[in-house]
Amino acid sequence: MSQATTAETKVWGGGRSPFNVSYGKMMMWFFLLSDAFTFSAFLISYGTKRFFSEVWPDANSVFHAFPFMGHADLPLLFVSLMTFILIMSSVTMVLAVHCGHYGDRQGVTKWLLWTIVGGICFLSCQAWEWTHLAHQTGGLWGTFVDPATPVDKFEHFFKHGTITAANTTAALEASHSFYNYFFTITGFHGGHVASGVVLLIMALINTVNGTYDNRGHYEMIEKVGLYWHFVDLVWVFVFTCFYLL
Amino acid sequence: MSAHHTSDNIQHLYEGDQSKLYSGVMAHHTDINSTESKKQVGRIWKVFWILLVITVVEVVVGMFFSHSMPRALVNFFFLALTILKAGYIVSVFMHLGDEVKSFMITVLIPLALFIWFIIAFLYDGGFWLEMNTTVPIR
Repeated sequence: MSQATTAETKVWGGGRSPFNVSYGKMMMWFFLLSDAFTFSAFLISYGTKRFFSEVWPDANSVFHAFPFMGHADLPLLFVSLMTFILIMSSVTMVLAVHCGHYGDRQGVTKWLLWTIVGGICFLSCQAWEWTHLAHQTGGLWGTFVDPATPVDKFEHFFKHGTITAANTTAALEASHSFYNYFFTITGFHGGHVASGVVLLIMALINTVNGTYDNRGHYEMIEKVGLYWHFVDLVWVFVFTCFYLL
Repeated sequence: MSAHHTSDNIQHLYEGDQSKLYSGVMAHHTDINSTESKKQVGRIWKVFWILLVITVVEVVVGMFFSHSMPRALVNFFFLALTILKAGYIVSVFMHLGDEVKSFMITVLIPLALFIWFIIAFLYDGGFWLEMNTTVPIR
């Protein structure tokens, strides 16, 4: 009977796994925690610069274009579509993880495929948006550095009527910072999405080959899933900081 | 929900291959069409609709109302909804809500540094703006 006292072992007394989570999954969490600090450093730096500036570009004035809609004024609509795509791909990812728990190979394959489609759609949207904005500003990084830039090149980024002779210099500097931060942060996020798609494709190949069935569990799907949801999570904050606030 | 990932006596799985810890836990689940499974899928879709509705509300407010509302209120509104969305993603999609409590705490506590991080840096930015606009250059 004394053998049955194992449950009384202290949680941190050794001989058991206190977090009840595998090493790989725990390390993925810790990696994501460090990545969260990297992204936050970017976003907080953006916020500092914004607080530093007298004027700041208005999201409704900067992001108002939609593919194939010409010059129609559709503020925030395209980025809403991108957000929807990413949330949707997060749902298909968590459904893949769910099927993995039940060892349902067909289900995992199906939902991973949809997640990959979502990721590629998002990246395509971002490619279009970058192309459009680069066209609008005359480049990606390092635009609006020439003090002689005429005011009509950048005053339309700001809320109508806010740019006066007194704050033209501040507005030029703000445009420069805004676009530099935009391309750096969305670029870093897009890089995460792209590497996430690569990981998903690798996981899909392994699933189809039966690697995880042979291994006896689909934990890899769960780890890739954590990464993918983190990418969605970062987008939630990027969306708020750049497009809403 | 936590029963899904937790097993009370995992000692026999602890030695050697850590991934056995996981497969042992998973061995309980075989039927994807079970009520338990369907309940979880239902929860996933429920969270999807919540996230979608929050995003639509954010965009509508951002497009039509944010310019006519006080700045502080707008910021509070958007930040509260953003944190709500983040909470749903982390706790349901990333299953952090299903992990043991000590692991949740281990992941979440370092994030408390952000409170200081954000206040300090934004305050500094605002201070510099004030210095630049109110103190004359000598």
